Amino acid sequence: MSGNHGNAIGRRRYLKAASAAALASTVAGCAGGDGGGGNDSESTDGGGGGNGTTAAGGTGTETQAAIENPETRGEFLQVANRALHDQAPWVYLNRQYSVYGVANRIEWEARRDERIDGRAIEPTGGGDTVTITQSQMDSGLDPQDHRETPTDNIVLQAYEGLLTRDAEGTITTELASDYERIEPGRVRFTIREGPTFHNGDPLTPEDVAFSVNRIVNDDVGGLVSPQSDQLAGVTGAQVVDGERAVDVMSDGINPIVFALFASYGDMMQKSWVQNNDGAYINTHMNGTGPFRLANYQEGVQVVYERAPDYWGEPASAAGLTIQAAGESSTRVNQLLGGEADLAVNVPPQDVNRVRNADSAAISPVPSTRVVFNAMRYDLEPFSSPEFRQAMNYAIDIESIVENVLSGFADATGQPTLEGFTGFNSNVEPYPQNVERAERLVEESGFAGEQLTLHTPVGRYLKDVEIAQAVANQIDQLGNVSCEVRQREFSALAGEVTTGNIEDKPPFYLLGWGNATFDASQTIIPLVTSDGELTSYGSDRVDSLLQEAQSLPGNQESG
Amino acid sequence: MALGRFVLKRALQGIVVVWGVVTVVFGLRFITPGSPINVIAPLDASAETKRAIAQELGLDEPLYVQYADYVVGLLQGDMGYSYISNTQASSQVFARLPATLELAVVATIVAIAISIPLGVLSATRRNEPADYGATLFSLGGISTPNFWLGIMLVLVFAVQLEVFKTSGRGPGFGGALATLLTSGSVDGLLTWLSYITLPAITLGTYFTALVTRLTRSGMLDELGQSYIKAVRAKGLPETLVRYKHALRNTLIPVITVLGLQLGTLIGGAVITEAVFDWPGLGTLVINSITARDWPILQGSLVVIGVGFVLINLAVDTLYAYVNPQVVHE
Repeated sequence: MSGNHGNAIGRRRYLKAASAAALASTVAGCAGGDGGGGNDSESTDGGGGGNGTTAAGGTGTETQAAIENPETRGEFLQVANRALHDQAPWVYLNRQYSVYGVANRIEWEARRDERIDGRAIEPTGGGDTVTITQSQMDSGLDPQDHRETPTDNIVLQAYEGLLTRDAEGTITTELASDYERIEPGRVRFTIREGPTFHNGDPLTPEDVAFSVNRIVNDDVGGLVSPQSDQLAGVTGAQVVDGERAVDVMSDGINPIVFALFASYGDMMQKSWVQNNDGAYINTHMNGTGPFRLANYQEGVQVVYERAPDYWGEPASAAGLTIQAAGESSTRVNQLLGGEADLAVNVPPQDVNRVRNADSAAISPVPSTRVVFNAMRYDLEPFSSPEFRQAMNYAIDIESIVENVLSGFADATGQPTLEGFTGFNSNVEPYPQNVERAERLVEESGFAGEQLTLHTPVGRYLKDVEIAQAVANQIDQLGNVSCEVRQREFSALAGEVTTGNIEDKPPFYLLGWGNATFDASQTIIPLVTSDGELTSYGSDRVDSLLQEAQSLPGNQESG
Repeated sequence: MALGRFVLKRALQGIVVVWGVVTVVFGLRFITPGSPINVIAPLDASAETKRAIAQELGLDEPLYVQYADYVVGLLQGDMGYSYISNTQASSQVFARLPATLELAVVATIVAIAISIPLGVLSATRRNEPADYGATLFSLGGISTPNFWLGIMLVLVFAVQLEVFKTSGRGPGFGGALATLLTSGSVDGLLTWLSYITLPAITLGTYFTALVTRLTRSGMLDELGQSYIKAVRAKGLPETLVRYKHALRNTLIPVITVLGLQLGTLIGGAVITEAVFDWPGLGTLVINSITARDWPILQGSLVVIGVGFVLINLAVDTLYAYVNPQVVHE
């Protein structure tokens, strides 16, 4: 085993300073290109060398007109993505899709962030109510006391944030009518006039400041919110004297602060929270959203009715019900039997049932989750960039997407997904090239290695099948063999999340969702030297991220 | 007095069994891979967050302290707090119990209503088409996996014909009854039937087939007994011979099986509840396993175990009452 972990340690502190939790931030929306076209040669826009051990240059797959001197934050992130493609810390696999079954009785456009906004569902089949079936129910109705998407979908019908996103992920205003950066560590939200909570009281700046503080400060609002690191770097909020505005303070510049508030941070009424206990808040709702709670059956269903005095465009549906069925076939049955209008997470094996039905259709949308095989760079044979690249060349990811995932995925070639800030549109997925893979293995000096790929079971869509396909394709190389080891997710997660690279398996499959639509929130935690979940470190990538996090984002006002 | 001692003895045995169930259920968490902290904490949680979660769950205590806390908590009705669903485990478990009981009872009623007449018919018309039909039915019922049967019933009667609901519980029997009593409308009952019919058939089919076979063989056995010949010789009508004498004796073992099967239905409805998304203990068990929600999983298993013990106790008592020989043995 070779260790090249240590020489990057000096780089570590800045990342924490630049982005306090370094695990949930950036400015959303635009992908931005780094110019140029063409590909399939050597990397020049940041690829190659300087990962602290062995230079990876000279074996990259694509080359474009390079960003020679990155200046903007997006450009630094793009160059980092190019470098990460070439240095291949992962076997790049796929971007997961969210696949919905949609009844012909409604019109609805799926969002990339996996959230279902009931306001955007229009009943067209004669009825005026809509029923959604997802895979699980909520973990309580407190909008600031959960971390999972199913609960998000339930609370967001009644609660709103300062900012939000459109279906493509672009930031738009919601309870804030305006936002701007005042100084590096301070941004200002002007609070919209007109919104009222469902109990009839108007939204005030005090409510907004209280809501932000309840998330980021353990001693506010009787809650240690699990969402504090979703508002990464945010230290608190205060009402601006004499104005209908709230200032939000951060450690450092926090370039992704608006992206965070577009994805997280639901607003609650201060007095309502203070006058009720946790059990009440978890079973009742008092937001400003387009629907208000009509009936709550814990673990069974949530029924809403259209809020009569909603400040914005009222919802098309007069009523909304969200229920859950863990079995995908049950969700599809409910859809086809007319008992649900929208079914979440239709797996590939059930897609044809929906497609063949007259009453419903499939609506796939790229999600914000990337699935990859991490390779620990501090261990042989993955300490060799050539070997890591060989693993990428061994894989026919297009075939995996087509045959394992029925086409409901996109091949990836960098940590950042298309549509995210920092995505490098000139980087293509590695093409399968068995001969080149074998040659790179020989060059690495690790021919004859026997690999074990650890994979969780049932955590991600077709995770085991993907891992088996990957292992089988690696096994096809003449000079490397690979087998799959199936792991219970919490056991694997226990090893991956210790914060210590040495606790991780050498080679493992993982998925990572990033609802901030910003490259930094994938790269920092997963492939920088100081990342909580990192399997890789490189001076070059670290410094590129340091530069990026010290610059403002590209949507700094609205 | 002898019966009282018998029941007391059985009850004490039941307490030991319940203690065993509680111990095994507590131990499950430690023999399965992975820590519950990693399930609760997000992937990017810091070590401090994980330590705080461990402290809140009491996982930083020695094992014997955790065990003692758990048992004492259970005795006070406290099954622990579920951090995944942000609620007391006991409230979730007991909220789901009525749905499971409702399904089990209805499935049992359906099974009794079909199986005993069918078993008698089969026995009294031995080697006739009715017997062949009943035998075929019972063979099919025992051989058919209930998850497959449930899926087929849903596809045909709910998705294609839209006669019944694909899943869910609707208003429940209580809600339907309340509607009937307050408004006199049977709509609530019809809605309830549209929800419960398919899961009840699915859950009860194996049970129906089993009791049909048991009744048939019991009836054949009894009808061949000499006391039956005696009552026939006395000139008793055949109906009385069959139903007053033969069937009555046949029902003693059948009742025992019915009681035990009711316990099995409460604990064994997991698959049926999952197929029909029936909001009972079975679905709760599946969901809690998927989410690694230990307090709720443990609470559900304890309630199922205690239910089984109680039903066994009731059946033993009833059996001892009907057949006093058991007490003296």
